[in-house]
Amino acid sequence: MITLDPRTKLFLAIVANSVIISAPLVYSALMFAVPAILLLFEKKWKFVLAFFSLYLAAALGFEHLKTMDVGRVGTLAVSTMMLISHMMPIGIVLYYVMQTTKANEFMAGMSKMHIPNKVTIPLTVMIRFFPTVFDESHAISNAMKMRGIRLFSLQTLKNPFTILEYRLIPLLVSLTKIGDELSVAASTRGLVPETKRTCVVPIGFHVQDAVVFVYCIAVLTCFFITSKSKQSIIDIVSNLFS
Amino acid sequence: MNITLKKVSFSYTDSIYDAVLKDISLQINSGECVVLAGESGSGKTTISKLINGLIPLYHSGTMAGDVLLGDKNTSDITLAEISKYVGSVFQNPRSQFFNVDTDSEIAFGCENLGIKPEEIRRRIEKTVTDFHLESLLGRNIFHLSGGEKQKIACASVDATDPDIFVLDEPSANLDLKTVADLAEIIKIWKSRGKTVVVVEHRLHYLRDVADRIIYVKEGHIECEWTPAELESKGTTYTASLGLRCMNLESLGEPNREDCHSREGGNLPSCSQTSNIVFKDLCFAYNPKFPILEIPTFTLPRGQITALIGHNGAGKSTLAQLVCGLCGSRSQKRAVRKLGTYLIMQDVNHQLFTESVLDEVLLGMSPKDKSAALEILDSLNLKSYAEKHPMALSGGQKQRVAIASGVSSNRDLIVFDEPTSGLDYRQMLAVSATLKTLANRGKTLFVITHDPELVLNCCHHVIHMDHGRIVNEFPLQGNENKLIHSLMCK
Repeated sequence: MITLDPRTKLFLAIVANSVIISAPLVYSALMFAVPAILLLFEKKWKFVLAFFSLYLAAALGFEHLKTMDVGRVGTLAVSTMMLISHMMPIGIVLYYVMQTTKANEFMAGMSKMHIPNKVTIPLTVMIRFFPTVFDESHAISNAMKMRGIRLFSLQTLKNPFTILEYRLIPLLVSLTKIGDELSVAASTRGLVPETKRTCVVPIGFHVQDAVVFVYCIAVLTCFFITSKSKQSIIDIVSNLFS
Repeated sequence: MNITLKKVSFSYTDSIYDAVLKDISLQINSGECVVLAGESGSGKTTISKLINGLIPLYHSGTMAGDVLLGDKNTSDITLAEISKYVGSVFQNPRSQFFNVDTDSEIAFGCENLGIKPEEIRRRIEKTVTDFHLESLLGRNIFHLSGGEKQKIACASVDATDPDIFVLDEPSANLDLKTVADLAEIIKIWKSRGKTVVVVEHRLHYLRDVADRIIYVKEGHIECEWTPAELESKGTTYTASLGLRCMNLESLGEPNREDCHSREGGNLPSCSQTSNIVFKDLCFAYNPKFPILEIPTFTLPRGQITALIGHNGAGKSTLAQLVCGLCGSRSQKRAVRKLGTYLIMQDVNHQLFTESVLDEVLLGMSPKDKSAALEILDSLNLKSYAEKHPMALSGGQKQRVAIASGVSSNRDLIVFDEPTSGLDYRQMLAVSATLKTLANRGKTLFVITHDPELVLNCCHHVIHMDHGRIVNEFPLQGNENKLIHSLMCK
């Protein structure tokens, strides 16, 4: 298992986000590789395989079809592929960060970067909240199933907003309650902006962090050079070797 | 560390006239274990919030009087400082965790206090051995049972080593076996000379640990007993105060006149013979480790059957299977034909619409307003028909959920822990509702840890363990057996 410093993960996420949105597909592939490999070390075989095949299909499909005239429906399909191939790497980076970063590591990392607790604590609460949202949402969908309210039925098609209401109102009510109880519990246990926390898990930079940093910076540099000279990355690499 | 409340009044609003606490004076000595009992809304939780500093530092309101921890006044220090002296455990195990994994959670409080990592590791090790938590280390908290979560919560405050422990209804979601573990944890704290304050409805597990039981009523301290004194006054007396029983064994004594003739209607007759039969209820996330293996089980139609067994025995999975929320397609189809409805433990999840009436009409086809009002009337909800369901009290919400089940014409209604965290009077109200439903010909299946509820309204008992039914018996004449099964003896 390879553990990265939380700061490295943050850097990875930022680079992945900035490169992927505006760059050609090669970069998204380059950025996809990092979290995918790291997740393999976490033994998430199935997950990586599923994501990788979906990504590959979308990316190849998009590259193949983007210049063709495919008609109206085809355009819809191609733009979906584009969306998947461009957004997926962001998704997988975020998934990796969420899966592997503990709340205390994250807070320790942030405080080492001198980011004030007032910013860190709400962010940490947000990370903590995602699993709760899924948990609650699952319970609510069970309740709806029992009522016979289905996502696709004549009734919901007639009135698509009701389904949103049925889903969101109970979710919001229970999340507000949990959020309030959570902050009460956290403050009785001394989590207030003024504290100077320690962290049981040692954090710090290691070789693997350096590798990720160098890789990310290399990708970024390539991206800037290519976007200036309008060359493709393949040209640069072939120029280097010729 | 002593706790002193001097003439404290508190109101959650701006005006002291609608105070929840009125002129309370209380002295709790160092090393004492004190139980604050009383009906819901009596103000006992507010007292616990005064001690852990949430009032006046977190909740705003109007306060008069002083709360002293040792010689420090809580209004002069910060929550962070109070957290060094006072450790709190709350009712809902789902919402007191900040971390996703157990190890970080136990360390969390210490980290906030800025204790050195080596010292934290040493403390965690000690807590883990004291509380026997070895098997819970390195686990995802979202995958733990309610009882396990509550143990982790206790461990987490224990690691910070405060002088005072405040527990706010810690046993509300726990089975009797875990409740006994909780009592052991409190004993450990007491043996170390810590002060323990427990807010609780269920008193039986605190019988041997508590030094004093303080009865709070309508915002003031009504009386005070030692556990032995209260026990000697008998069950009828405690029940009249709205408190749960002191001694579970005494509940099991046969021929207790009061348990079947209490207010809320008589039990429907047991003469009906037809049964609802379920076959081949099996479920597994991983085929090698089946969670549930029940070849066949029967529910007598029109009667109330209790399902007991400790946390993690597969009771909730059984309920979900019976309600068609999990399982194979053929199982779901069979269940749909039967018509089942689940009243969840957290009823907030199953109320969707803008008014109580809409909630009932939603599942009705054809929509019949007068029939809906009739259902609401039978559950004492008619006057709330136009209210928003989320604006109601917990018990009322539960009845709205029941009404929606009744209106969709389901014959089998399954309840998941309908009385967790309720005081005696509220429990009786739930039990009365269950009896009303049974009298209307509904078949009820109640998952519960609550011996008093079972004794009050159930006909049959099914005992589950490790995904199997280990025992099935009619309640009448088997009261003792019930108590023993609940305690897992």
